[in-house]
Amino acid sequence: MGRRNSISPIDSAYLETHDLCRYFRRGGYEVRALDGVNLGVRRGEFVVIVGSSGCGKSTLLGILGGLDTPTTGTVEMESRSLYTLSRRELAAYRARQIGMVFQSFNLISHYTALQNVETALLFNGTPRRERRARATAVLDQLGLSDRITHRPADLSGGEQQRVAMARAIVKNPAILLADEPTGNLDHDNAVQTIALLAQLNRQGITVVMVTHNLELARQHATRIIRMDYGHIVGSDTSSPASREIS
Amino acid sequence: MTFTDFVAVSTGNLWRMKLRTFLTVSGVVIAIAAFVSMLSFGAGNQQYITKQFEELGLLTTMQVYPKTNSDKTDSVKAAVLDKSAIGKLSLIPGVNLAYSYEAISVIAKLGDSTISAKAQTLPEAVLRTKLFSRILAGKPFSSDTTRQVLVNEDLVKSWGFKEPDSLVGRSIVISVKVTSLDSGLAHVLKDKGETIRDRLKRISFDSLWYREYRSRIINNELNGAAQRFVNGFLNCREEISDTLTICGVIEKRESHQLKTGSIIIPQATAARFTTGFSGDPTELLAAINSGTIFSGNRNTANKNYPMVTLDLDPRAMHKTVRDSVEALGFRAFSFAEQFDEIRKFFVYFDLALGLIGLIALTTASLGIVNTMVMSILERKREIGVLKSLGADEREIRFLFLAESGMIGVLGSLFGITFGWLITRIASVVAKMVMAKQGIPATELFAIPIWLILIALVIGVGVSLLAGFYPASRAAHIDPIEALRNE
Repeated sequence: MGRRNSISPIDSAYLETHDLCRYFRRGGYEVRALDGVNLGVRRGEFVVIVGSSGCGKSTLLGILGGLDTPTTGTVEMESRSLYTLSRRELAAYRARQIGMVFQSFNLISHYTALQNVETALLFNGTPRRERRARATAVLDQLGLSDRITHRPADLSGGEQQRVAMARAIVKNPAILLADEPTGNLDHDNAVQTIALLAQLNRQGITVVMVTHNLELARQHATRIIRMDYGHIVGSDTSSPASREIS
Repeated sequence: MTFTDFVAVSTGNLWRMKLRTFLTVSGVVIAIAAFVSMLSFGAGNQQYITKQFEELGLLTTMQVYPKTNSDKTDSVKAAVLDKSAIGKLSLIPGVNLAYSYEAISVIAKLGDSTISAKAQTLPEAVLRTKLFSRILAGKPFSSDTTRQVLVNEDLVKSWGFKEPDSLVGRSIVISVKVTSLDSGLAHVLKDKGETIRDRLKRISFDSLWYREYRSRIINNELNGAAQRFVNGFLNCREEISDTLTICGVIEKRESHQLKTGSIIIPQATAARFTTGFSGDPTELLAAINSGTIFSGNRNTANKNYPMVTLDLDPRAMHKTVRDSVEALGFRAFSFAEQFDEIRKFFVYFDLALGLIGLIALTTASLGIVNTMVMSILERKREIGVLKSLGADEREIRFLFLAESGMIGVLGSLFGITFGWLITRIASVVAKMVMAKQGIPATELFAIPIWLILIALVIGVGVSLLAGFYPASRAAHIDPIEALRNE
């Protein structure tokens, strides 16, 4: 985990990791999913993480989202380590600061689109009536107003992913973590999904996205990070969006 | 999440799995129904006995007896239960009234119908106590000297009447056969035609010089004299009759320790029936023991009573009264204290029945565990999603506990209703069987509020307990593992 494998934490980073390691034991062998990752994400950035399957992208996202705990190293949010938080505080961090989007959407199959989006507000103290109003508004904003009573099985892949995005953004998170959000979508839906993420980013949400679809992501990313075998092997800030920012 | 959110989410989840929820709840329903119906049997019997005690006025009644030989080893000296003792007993704080139990065997004749009955003599004031308060027809006698009697409901049937009212105002002839020492003594000299002269004729006076012969003759004569006395005492009795009017019919009251006569005669009116001995040999022996055998009129202050009843103030402390009675040298029997023992028995009885019900509930709880574990396995990804959305372990645990709690609430409510239904059916069947066997119909089952509350608490409690392990398991599910792409 030398400096060679790391990108220096950015000054005034909003979310940053220090020597992050995550090891698993699989079949008697130690798997090093993350091995000394140092990463800083500034407020308002659109960071895209690319790399081959099994390189540790999703593991990194899980740790940034407070769902997983590193073997060693720390994650700091506005200079406060997530691991000084109690379990309840960590859950509150997920409930208020983080929105997550997954490749397989992870919608609750027996809930309607509206109920799925409302669920995101269950754990941050939003009153029942407000939950419904906000969920309806976000679904409307994403063009799903005629789908609110539909269950996931009755929606197309693109619609399901938009419901998942609505669920992620309805609580106005500071950071949106997207784990291969276009992985299960056709090209048109993938384009729409990336465009939506970019739009949200422009509205002020920091986005960290893991993807294989570098071509689509490149247009909107402010930074592209390459990972390989648990290490960060490169960072590219030459994308159009990055140039726009600079 | 608020409480309403927990209830709404868990209700939705249970509703989604209708068949599984129905089957699991059914297990709890059956267990709670068994629990309720079994305890209802205990509660019904307890309620019946309590009602009997209260209606009979036994909870304000204490009975006083002379000490027996075994009691006489106590440090307190045994006292005689006579009129002066009644006076002392009535002065004990908390005692409203003290009266003796005097029963005489009488022949009661109404028209052509004659029956043997036990008559009890009572002061008029006693009829105002709860023990004698249930008048079925007519009214109690108005004074101790009135020529009226009360009869109990048994005599209505014995005399062939259907309604108690039919007896009120009718005249009955009460006859008592009494005996006295005179009739016994008269037979010492002569019995069955054999005079003292006949017996003297059988003695060989020449042989009286021999000591053995003399002893045998004396023993024979003494034994013979005793036999002739008893024979005369028991068989040569005088009949005393009086015509009295039935003023009312009283409800029959009988229980262990409680004795009431079929005919109740005012104390002063009954005085002439209680002159002499009734012919009961034990009465004679009691008189010999107490030294009152030669006291002439036996209705005096010297007369000993087998029992005295105390009517107590409802607020009186039975133990205090009993201690005072025992301090006077008597033995006391408190129905209230016996009632406490019965209540203790019912606690154990209910516990045993409840335990059987709990076994059924334990089986039902395994059904809940199974349902919840299955549910968790099926909803593993959902739990992962909820955690990613910010649910903490406590909330996930509560969510699943709310589901098992809901199963408990539903199972308990329907179980109590089902249990009630079972007891109603069992009650109807039991009453039909009792009617067939000529037993007065008695309500054997009761579902008091405490039973409903206990069933609800146990039903929900056991369900929550059963849900605790699955809920903890759900709370500890690793969200990364749960959300992993399959």
